[in-house]
Amino acid sequence: MTALAETVGVLRRFGPLVAVDDVHLRVDGGEVVGLLGANGAGKTTLIRILLGLLPPTDGLVRLFGLEPSRETRRRIGYVPQGLGLYDDLTPDENLAFAHAVFGGERGTLPQAIRPLAGVLVGRLSLGVQRRVAFAQALAHRPELLVLDEPTSGVDPLARARLWETIRETADDGAGVLVTTHHMDEAEECDRLVVMADGRVVADGTVAEIVGDTRVAVVRTDEWERAFAALETAGMSAALVGRTLRVPRVAPAAVEGALGDVPARVDEAAATLEERFLELTLSGGRGGAAA
Amino acid sequence: MWAMIVKEFRQLRRDRRTLAMMIVLPILMLVVFGYAASFDVMTIPVRVMGPAAERLAAALPAPFEVEEVDAAAGREQAEMALRDGEVPVVFLTSASGATVLLDGSQLFIATSTKGALSTLAGRAPAGLTVDVEVLFNPDLETSAIMVPGLAAMILLFVGTVITSLGVVRERQAGTLEQLAVMPLRPTDVFLGKIAPYFVVAAVDMVVVIVAGTWLFDVPFRGSVSILAIGALLFLFVTLGIGVLISSVSENQGQAIQLALMTLLPQVMLSGLIFPLSSMPAGVRWIGYVLPLTYFVEIARGVMLRGAPITALWQSYAYLAIIGAVVFGLATLRFRRSLAPARARRHRAPEPELEGSAP
Amino acid sequence: MTWGVRGLMVRFGEHLALAGVSLDAPAGRVTGVVGGDGAGKTTLLRCLVGAVAPGWGEVRRPESRRIGYLSSTSGTYPDLSVEENLAFAATAYGVPPVEARARAAEYLERTGLASARDRLTGHLSGGMRQKLGVIRAMVHRPELLVLDEPTTGIDPVSRADLWWLIARAAAEGAAVVLATAYLDEAERASWLLALDEGHALAEGTPDEIAAAVPGTIRTSTERPSGDASRRSWRRGARWRTWTPGAAGSVAPQADVVRPDLHDAVTVAALARELAVTAAGGGAA
Repeated sequence: MTALAETVGVLRRFGPLVAVDDVHLRVDGGEVVGLLGANGAGKTTLIRILLGLLPPTDGLVRLFGLEPSRETRRRIGYVPQGLGLYDDLTPDENLAFAHAVFGGERGTLPQAIRPLAGVLVGRLSLGVQRRVAFAQALAHRPELLVLDEPTSGVDPLARARLWETIRETADDGAGVLVTTHHMDEAEECDRLVVMADGRVVADGTVAEIVGDTRVAVVRTDEWERAFAALETAGMSAALVGRTLRVPRVAPAAVEGALGDVPARVDEAAATLEERFLELTLSGGRGGAAA
Repeated sequence: MWAMIVKEFRQLRRDRRTLAMMIVLPILMLVVFGYAASFDVMTIPVRVMGPAAERLAAALPAPFEVEEVDAAAGREQAEMALRDGEVPVVFLTSASGATVLLDGSQLFIATSTKGALSTLAGRAPAGLTVDVEVLFNPDLETSAIMVPGLAAMILLFVGTVITSLGVVRERQAGTLEQLAVMPLRPTDVFLGKIAPYFVVAAVDMVVVIVAGTWLFDVPFRGSVSILAIGALLFLFVTLGIGVLISSVSENQGQAIQLALMTLLPQVMLSGLIFPLSSMPAGVRWIGYVLPLTYFVEIARGVMLRGAPITALWQSYAYLAIIGAVVFGLATLRFRRSLAPARARRHRAPEPELEGSAP
Repeated sequence: MTWGVRGLMVRFGEHLALAGVSLDAPAGRVTGVVGGDGAGKTTLLRCLVGAVAPGWGEVRRPESRRIGYLSSTSGTYPDLSVEENLAFAATAYGVPPVEARARAAEYLERTGLASARDRLTGHLSGGMRQKLGVIRAMVHRPELLVLDEPTTGIDPVSRADLWWLIARAAAEGAAVVLATAYLDEAERASWLLALDEGHALAEGTPDEIAAAVPGTIRTSTERPSGDASRRSWRRGARWRTWTPGAAGSVAPQADVVRPDLHDAVTVAALARELAVTAAGGGAA
């Protein structure tokens, strides 16, 4: 089956800087793929290459089996991080504009927000704005949907509702590519592609990516002292509630570092975020220079 | 492409400031170039002094309009009247003829007077000598009146445009709220914000004046401190306007639009370029309301004529009053933007609404 | 010293931003306020630091010199360098220059900003800008550190650095109050207040909130039909349906799951939504 979007060995250079390095990515119909990466990992560049906005320095990019062109752009729905809506127009006017540009059918707003169709977008809450942006992107029935941080800043119930729409689109046969910084959102995807420093460092389901990575968990009443002790020992401890989690260090070493601070040290399964940080940091800290 | 056109029109319809500019600007231009922009003076107010004053006053035709006749006054009084800006032309009669003293700082009136005099020259009775003497700007140089005007413009420009941009930058960056929460008094923030612009405006003005006197030989006959006081008062007005503009603007684009809309009328109608005396009364009154008019008066009076403060007291008074009002208003508004937002007060807590936490 | 608010009521014109909200922020702890856009988190935080005077209620906070605040819109001047931004904050808060420089140096180093000292803040990435914003808010060792959605839209690496700063501030004795729209982040607080449209939805430690879900949550592969569909939402590839009842009334079975924080907040919001529609029309 032809992939909706595919990159094979894509390389992109900006002068001496390699933004994207030997990336293989594939999005098929009916699936939701999440692209996860730190700043400077190359996510944005890769997306721009996929959308046909930027040519690769080397490698292949195929949209619907073809080279990116104005025609392929008509078959894609894209919601950028800034939503791409005009604040000083109403949802109806925004949809009218998109309809005039893309052709196809005029987008319809979901039932729940139809009463707000005449209100200036700038006055609507973020959750409603996002739903308008979705309606606009889906109006011309795209086969590929590309979403940049689709539910950033939205409460859990509204996020669930937005994801229902995303899922329905995938169920109808479209392929969805989501870029995200957010573990909650990453866990909603069928498959994750993790990037660091321009390269793909992991590809699979959440469970496959986390594998059996474990972290040391410190439980103590004197967490401030424990924190300071671990810092001195050069161990990076993260505060979670009233515990301290120390990745990439064996529990025995943690106990040693704590010295006479009374604490209990156990092991626990790593979270996706901890595994992601491990992958990113070992892939080089180039991202921090962005 | 049609889609873009429709969309742009819809957005334009809602952009009130741009719409206002689209309407106000053409009207302003119409008024200025239709009525105000003229270098020809219609009537010239004069005083006649000296022994033959009565007779001459009766004989003077238009465009001269005799304001006052004083047979007992002599040369000294004539010069003082000109210096104090009481009148632009004095006919000083003597036994042998008349001397016409012109105020060179009122350039266009002086040139118009000269023109009118030459047309009348043929009609003078024989044996009468008529001398023309131009005081304060004998060569009738434009630079002489423009340099003080420029000094005024600098204060206006820095005070309104530059200050409003600088202050609105805070609002645009969203850091105003941060400042409100820091241990800074509102006065600290307010004065701290406008002090640099005050200094820049003052330095700029000094540079312009010094350059004018050195490079263009513009005279500086009056007292520096008097000009400084006038500049100070005018700065209060312009800085106040600048801060007020920023208090009703959300970003630098809007601030510039509003600042230009206050700047342009002042430059056109304050007598800076086109003399007030050549504007019809209906338009001239606009000039009498604008603050710039009064500082231009002060700058030209002090620099070119060496006028004392008593002569220009009306201009100073006007600037002081307007300055107090505008600056005071600006301070209040600025303080309000830093003060805690006030929610509606309640006397007692409201009853729990249905559907709250399970 | 425990700072906080009690019975806060804030109404702006017709809009009720907060309806009787209370929160305690003890020193040395991280207290979280979680909710979506328009829930009232920002208003609550602004009351706490004194930027808003509430219509009713009590606010306990230290003098402004001992407060550190990062607003959600911006905390730094884009046209000043990293160094200059910190210098401004240090001077305004009266921190002795030597101490300020030492603290700043340590924080910049630890969060990967040391090499960007002279760079214009406007040219930094979002994550670096936020890190700078937090450092700026804590350079004077405040007793109360209030951060409004500091990690929204920030990449995970910067977020980890930011949490180090938060942990450090708490370890130094500050009461940290954090507003967030993200539940996985809310789970890291030692105490949580969930808000929805100005009302307190739930409060307690993340575990307490999760355990207090009234009723049962079942998962299924298909969306249930009928009345139950209004109480369903999607999570990943499966659906979750909530049935009201007593907390923990049904033991975990094949399709019954133990609720987590995510479920708790979703259920609380659903309950409000359903009660509001049952009362005949929406509120606000």
